[in-house]
Amino acid sequence: MLKLFKKDLLLFFNDQKSFVLTFLLPVILITLFAFAYGAIGDIIERSDNTDLLMVDHDSTDISAGFISDIDTLSGITIVKSEVGAARESIIKGKIAAALVIGKGFSDSLYKGSSIPLEMLYDRDKELESGNLQAKVVRVLVSRAAGGYPIESFMPEMISILGDKTNTDLNLIQAVAGTAILMLLFSMASVGTSILDEKENGTINRLLYSPINSHTILYSKMLFAFFVAVLQLTVMFLFAWIFLGLDISVNITALIIMILATAFSISSVGIFLAAIAKSRQQAQSLSTLVILVMSAIGGSMIPLYFMPDIMSKIAVLSINYWGIQGFYDIFWRVLPLPDILPEILVLTGIGVVMTALSIRLITRNILKLL
Amino acid sequence: MIELKSISKSYGNIVSLRDISFKIHEGEIFGLLGPNGAGKSTTVNIINTLLKPDSGHIYIDGINILSHPDECKMMMGVVPQEIALYDNLTALENLMFWGGLYNVPKAQLRINAADILELVGLSGRKNDRIKTFSGGMKRRINIACSILHKPKILVMDEPTAGVDPQNRNHIFDVIENLNNEGMTIIYTTHYMEEAERLCDTIAIIDTGSIRAHGTMDELKKISGARDIITLTLSGISEELVNSIRDEHSFTVLSSSPKSIKLECDNISDQVSTLVNHVEKTGAVIKNINTRGANLESVFLKLTGKKLRD
Repeated sequence: MLKLFKKDLLLFFNDQKSFVLTFLLPVILITLFAFAYGAIGDIIERSDNTDLLMVDHDSTDISAGFISDIDTLSGITIVKSEVGAARESIIKGKIAAALVIGKGFSDSLYKGSSIPLEMLYDRDKELESGNLQAKVVRVLVSRAAGGYPIESFMPEMISILGDKTNTDLNLIQAVAGTAILMLLFSMASVGTSILDEKENGTINRLLYSPINSHTILYSKMLFAFFVAVLQLTVMFLFAWIFLGLDISVNITALIIMILATAFSISSVGIFLAAIAKSRQQAQSLSTLVILVMSAIGGSMIPLYFMPDIMSKIAVLSINYWGIQGFYDIFWRVLPLPDILPEILVLTGIGVVMTALSIRLITRNILKLL
Repeated sequence: MIELKSISKSYGNIVSLRDISFKIHEGEIFGLLGPNGAGKSTTVNIINTLLKPDSGHIYIDGINILSHPDECKMMMGVVPQEIALYDNLTALENLMFWGGLYNVPKAQLRINAADILELVGLSGRKNDRIKTFSGGMKRRINIACSILHKPKILVMDEPTAGVDPQNRNHIFDVIENLNNEGMTIIYTTHYMEEAERLCDTIAIIDTGSIRAHGTMDELKKISGARDIITLTLSGISEELVNSIRDEHSFTVLSSSPKSIKLECDNISDQVSTLVNHVEKTGAVIKNINTRGANLESVFLKLTGKKLRD
């Protein structure tokens, strides 16, 4: 029995794929989830700086003092604004929240009535907004300790997104996050089919015929793109019919986002096959890359549950750009020009991955004349 | 029809083909015979344009395949060594796909597919997926997929590898039928009996060089391989051995008191002469064993080793 055990142990440590899947991948995922749940994130967040838009309709010495007190807090930078501009900044996702000090703020502090204080915020940035809210309350409490009669220190939290379509953010997250995660897996599978064809000899047979190698490669890419578009379309149609996601909110933007997402993710699938030497290697590599990208990019856990540092790391993941693009359409209800950054990033990823894949596949898989 | 002129090919420091040249005439079955690693597949892959030679030229009907690969590809069908089919497609779907790559009109392709399925004996299975086929049946479809565009030349790279005798015979029948219709066939194998049965001309390749090329009779002459007769007698004297050697064109390979092993040019012409000669000396013949020169002996003579070494 011991001999068999030793043999299995030897085989296991000689198999790099098993080793990576057993130890490296879980370690990476544990680290990522630890960040996501804030265990490590808290430490990093102390040094983070968050902008808070400040709209002062009271314009008194008391309100100015209050603003000045908040500004002295570490981790908050006050930016003075107007309500309209503040709303636009939040809607476009540039900022998490704005504090609106209503007229009569000073009087209500003296009279002990409820304070006209509103915090406009983006539920997509709930963690950041909650953090800001807590700091504002702390300043009010400290002022109350100085003799101000305050009944309630809590500013009224007003989520200014999601009203137009009456759409649930969690539904958007579930649909977009899952669609992109599953698309990555199916595109990795389409990519590895090139290696299948190499291994079973059909690539060579195709090369015997009067079609050239680039036609073979481009047809594979076209197929991957087509399946990706189809898969995303079916997912959003399903979400519309059975889950109540209003996809009519901006059909043009949705179509363009689907095309850009499909292009970038299908190109990633082909690229993963292009850098692998065998089907097995491609499968291991795909699993690793997809799980890591999905973990940091918000497919597994929504970014609004993650600390701010994760949002910064998330930009490295293709999932992030896809999910943010769909947020912009369904949650922020932004017009097409405002979604262009996500579309351009996704298209750029697609162009770069495609160019690299053409070079690698031509050299490694389609050995040409 | 096909002419290879001074073709060489190396992979790094390993020389795969050394300055090989030969011609294949229209309508013949040309066999390329050699052990594994001799350069057969490299030669075939250069002919079917998958590989580019380091030097030399290849012409098909006078067209240089290196400068006009697509034109030459249209004239050729290639049966790869692997079973290169899509397992999840039916036999007919595979045929339609592979034939479609050669721009055969769809209606014509359907007619060709039906004829070819008949030829390979799989008409009844045309709508079954390839994954349900036996190895031999897959081999037959593998051939069928290469001839849908009615090529003038069919290149077959060890098409019977791993096939049982019944399916092998079926494949031989298919090849002979295609050849009878005028198709030129290039056939690589390391099975001598296949080459002997099918090929009009054979080139023997070893360590990247063509050692000999010609018909079976020509190869025998080139190699000096001769037929062998072994006689078992009641008794063999030295005089008998000498008389056989001196009076006839036999070469004595070995002799013992009871048997003698001889080499000759043509058994069928010379065996009766030998029997008469021996009987005249009063010796009694107990057994005669004859073995004609074959590719194995030709190969041995030419390369100094057995084909499967």
